[in-house]
Amino acid sequence: MMDPIFNPDAIETWAKSVGIFQLMNTQWGWPTAEIIHFFGLCLLIATVGMFDLRMMGVARGVSMKALHKLVPFGIAGYAMCVITGFMFVVSAPGQYIYNPAIQTKLTLMAIAGVNVVVFYLTTSRAVSSLGEYDLPPIPARLIGFVSLACWLGVITAGRLVTFFRPPEFWCLWCVPG
Amino acid sequence: MTEIFTAIEQSPFSIFMREDFYAYFIALIFHSIGMALLIGGGILVSLRVMGLAPGARLERFAGFFPVMWAGLALAVLSGIALLAAYPAKALTNPVFGLKFASLIAAAVLMRWMVQRYFPLAAAGQALPPRAKWLAAITLSLWLGGVVFGKLLLHTSTMLMVS
Repeated sequence: MMDPIFNPDAIETWAKSVGIFQLMNTQWGWPTAEIIHFFGLCLLIATVGMFDLRMMGVARGVSMKALHKLVPFGIAGYAMCVITGFMFVVSAPGQYIYNPAIQTKLTLMAIAGVNVVVFYLTTSRAVSSLGEYDLPPIPARLIGFVSLACWLGVITAGRLVTFFRPPEFWCLWCVPG
Repeated sequence: MTEIFTAIEQSPFSIFMREDFYAYFIALIFHSIGMALLIGGGILVSLRVMGLAPGARLERFAGFFPVMWAGLALAVLSGIALLAAYPAKALTNPVFGLKFASLIAAAVLMRWMVQRYFPLAAAGQALPPRAKWLAAITLSLWLGGVVFGKLLLHTSTMLMVS
């Protein structure tokens, strides 16, 4: 099978040319990036994930408008995850690109991204105007559920990456050749 | 100790956890979700006590506790199953002790804050200045539990079974 989109060797060569590969392969490079990645995930779940729970109707009495002010911490956590995740992938592209756990993780991230856009285009105003004890409308509860399910799925898929290392090979976009 | 590890590793449950196609995999999934719910809630309460999101009433954050308890139950049960699979690998690693010490200390501190600060917040009184420091320490301990858990992979030295 031939990959018309990604060239793992070229990606790794690029990572070496900019020093990411060397940094990640120092004694503490990889573990440090993992720690930052997990800090990011913690921030994301603690802010966005808990906001999702509140949207689902948990912890009524906590103001959603006030809770929403913590979302920038979740965005910071997301950025930490994206940067370190990028460093993992470019430093060992063959381990990640064709890994079903990573593909599942990225798919769930994409669904979560679309879900966020839907939230801000549809129910965010209604949610921010609700009182402390109000139950959010059904679409908002649904959006909260999808978001939380996606982020928990992202964490789980990330944890399972080591189960699907080569020779595991998933490539729906590859062509014979 | 080696005899104890060997006895655990030869038990039917330990063998099942290692050799069944799905057992270890499913336990890891539950452990990830349980830890995320437990620590996510813990960090959120710590951030709130530190003074963030002041418009949200602190005492109402108790509404998140049932989810955290569910997360704790999930994490502990799946953690026991994971530990049963490779007891020597975890129990001979000092980092495993650090993970537990961090999480237990975080839980104890959080309980202390809940017992003292939630009634103050409910009565409309200001929290003492040291509350922010305690919350910052609690937050660090929750994060420490995650970090030490992650570092287990890089620091274990003893594997009696594969």
